[in-house]
Amino acid sequence: MSGITSALDALRSMRRPAWLGPLVALLVVYAVFAIITPEHSFLRAQNLPMMGRQTVVVAICALGMTLVIVTGGIDLSTGSLVALTTVIIAKLLKSGSSPVFAILCGVAVAALVGALIGFFVGRLRMMPFVVTLGAMTALRGAAKGLASEQKIDCEPHGLDRLLDASLASPGIWIALALALATAALLDYTRFGRHVLAVGSNEAAAKLCGINAARVKILVYALSSMLAGIAGLMEFSTLTVGDPTDSFGLELEVIAAVVIGGAPLSGGEGSIVGSVLGALLMTVIRTGAVHMGMPSWVQEIVTGGIIFVAVAIDRARRPSARPS
Amino acid sequence: MKTRSLALSPVWSLLVVLGSLLLMACPKDAPKPTADGEGGAAPATTARLKIAVIPKGTTHEFWKSVHAGAVKAAKELDVDIVWKGPLKEDDLKAQVDVVSTFVAQGVSGIVLAPLNDTALRAPVKEATAAKIPVVIFDSDLQGDEHVSFVATDNVAAGKLAGDHIAKLLGDKGNVIMLRYQEGSASTANREKGFLDAVHAKPTLKVVSDNQYGGATTESAFAKGEGLLVAQKADTGGVNAIFTPNESTTFGMLLALRKSNLAKKTKFVGFDASEKLVSALKDGDIDGLVVQNPFNMGYLAVKTMTEHLRGKKVERRIDTGARLVTKDNLEEPAVKEVIAPDLKKWLGE
Repeated sequence: MSGITSALDALRSMRRPAWLGPLVALLVVYAVFAIITPEHSFLRAQNLPMMGRQTVVVAICALGMTLVIVTGGIDLSTGSLVALTTVIIAKLLKSGSSPVFAILCGVAVAALVGALIGFFVGRLRMMPFVVTLGAMTALRGAAKGLASEQKIDCEPHGLDRLLDASLASPGIWIALALALATAALLDYTRFGRHVLAVGSNEAAAKLCGINAARVKILVYALSSMLAGIAGLMEFSTLTVGDPTDSFGLELEVIAAVVIGGAPLSGGEGSIVGSVLGALLMTVIRTGAVHMGMPSWVQEIVTGGIIFVAVAIDRARRPSARPS
Repeated sequence: MKTRSLALSPVWSLLVVLGSLLLMACPKDAPKPTADGEGGAAPATTARLKIAVIPKGTTHEFWKSVHAGAVKAAKELDVDIVWKGPLKEDDLKAQVDVVSTFVAQGVSGIVLAPLNDTALRAPVKEATAAKIPVVIFDSDLQGDEHVSFVATDNVAAGKLAGDHIAKLLGDKGNVIMLRYQEGSASTANREKGFLDAVHAKPTLKVVSDNQYGGATTESAFAKGEGLLVAQKADTGGVNAIFTPNESTTFGMLLALRKSNLAKKTKFVGFDASEKLVSALKDGDIDGLVVQNPFNMGYLAVKTMTEHLRGKKVERRIDTGARLVTKDNLEEPAVKEVIAPDLKKWLGE
């Protein structure tokens, strides 16, 4: 017992970055798969850019979700919003709009939806879970209605090359740039400090003169705009607008953020950690395919990792321990 | 420095848990190269073929039969198959990801039932560019990168139904057909085959063939009920009915029962669910055209293997459909199609 206690004490005294755990886990899982896959197929050169491509959508969504979770909120509408964006882009392309216009419309609609959610959460002080639960269903319905309940086929006008099969595929670099920008926003700007302040103690933040409602509106708008960009990447992969796409994506995104070390109680979070969390899930999924693992095993392993990641996070944090 | 190593201990425990989870998952599937984890088989040689088989989903009965057929082919032809569907049933993005993962892994060949005829083109192109051949089964894919297309010949299957109705009516009477849905290629071909067969008999009259049942049993039921009233089925305005898939058949069956027309109107449907087969036994349905998913899985893997071994394969392979009636329900060949022995191949 005393061994465990002293380990926990030692752990609490540590000031290591939140993303160190996910990074170690990612490297180890990668190494394990590299060793045990038949003929070491996991080490093939094509595998890395492919995993990068497959992580782009979840990673971009996780950037926004991290901000939302840092404010102590949650966003369940991400998957529906991604599907809606693919439908909007496909529909506009089909009706002859230019790709740039289609992208701008898709992302703008997403950002507006986010601002509306932020308004409900920030100004009207409604529970984020409830607001975004409603938005999840309503947006899914809107996507299906807009697409007449069918997949929309259209000429992709080069948008499919955003995520083509090489390390140079622009989507990966766009995701990386967005991640750096969001990390800088959270860690080095006034707005970022306000976000953290609202999440750790909203009452105190208000006393310090921070407009919490405005911060939340901006955070949800930004988060949904990122979901819109993820929708563009999703369209690039699918090349069709699919209103039933990305069902349950938000849970994968939340899992990435949680693995990345952000507690759902808000007040802290790491963009780098969230991206690593997203990568970790891709590595597990890819490894499962290489090993020919049945889907149910893969689901249990992913669930186990979320569980262990949160357990570690709790052990790391003194305040979370009941006295 | 001591604190540091201690501090990381939960991370190590995570690794231990992960490692053991992975190892737990291994024994059945991982290093052994046999088709189905058969114990004690010979070790892998570089020449051994590894074929990825990607269905649209993994939990439906239809795909279980396909899986069983694929395993049979793998055992007969001495190749390995990896059966891997999208994690979520019918999830397009997940299927695209599974295909590109197999391409990156460098399997010998990919056998794919595409969820969408355009969205899967890009990953299939990627595979062809990496010199991994692709055989498409069940549903067609646009483009001609794939080696072969293995599926039911739906026009011929529809014709089976048309011929049976002609026989039931003695070539005379009024016929209606409730279509499935706009934009569904497989059912449109069945409908075409049916109409071709019926139009070949000048004394058969098609009184309605432009109504669509829609995606669900519910919508097909409503359309079917309306159609029976509109065509005065209760006073003999309709002698026979054809429906081209499971949901329209079940919807029409419910409509006939509700209107007290079951057994009075001849009815030939498509696909065999448990409920439809029991209606066939009761006599409410006079015939069901069924596809052969077991044979589809078998032929898809066989075609890929032959292609990889340098044989020439056909561009289009018909996996067959047959008419099931009350009379032939007990024949072994029919039983094998309606209720194939999955246990034997899947070991479940």
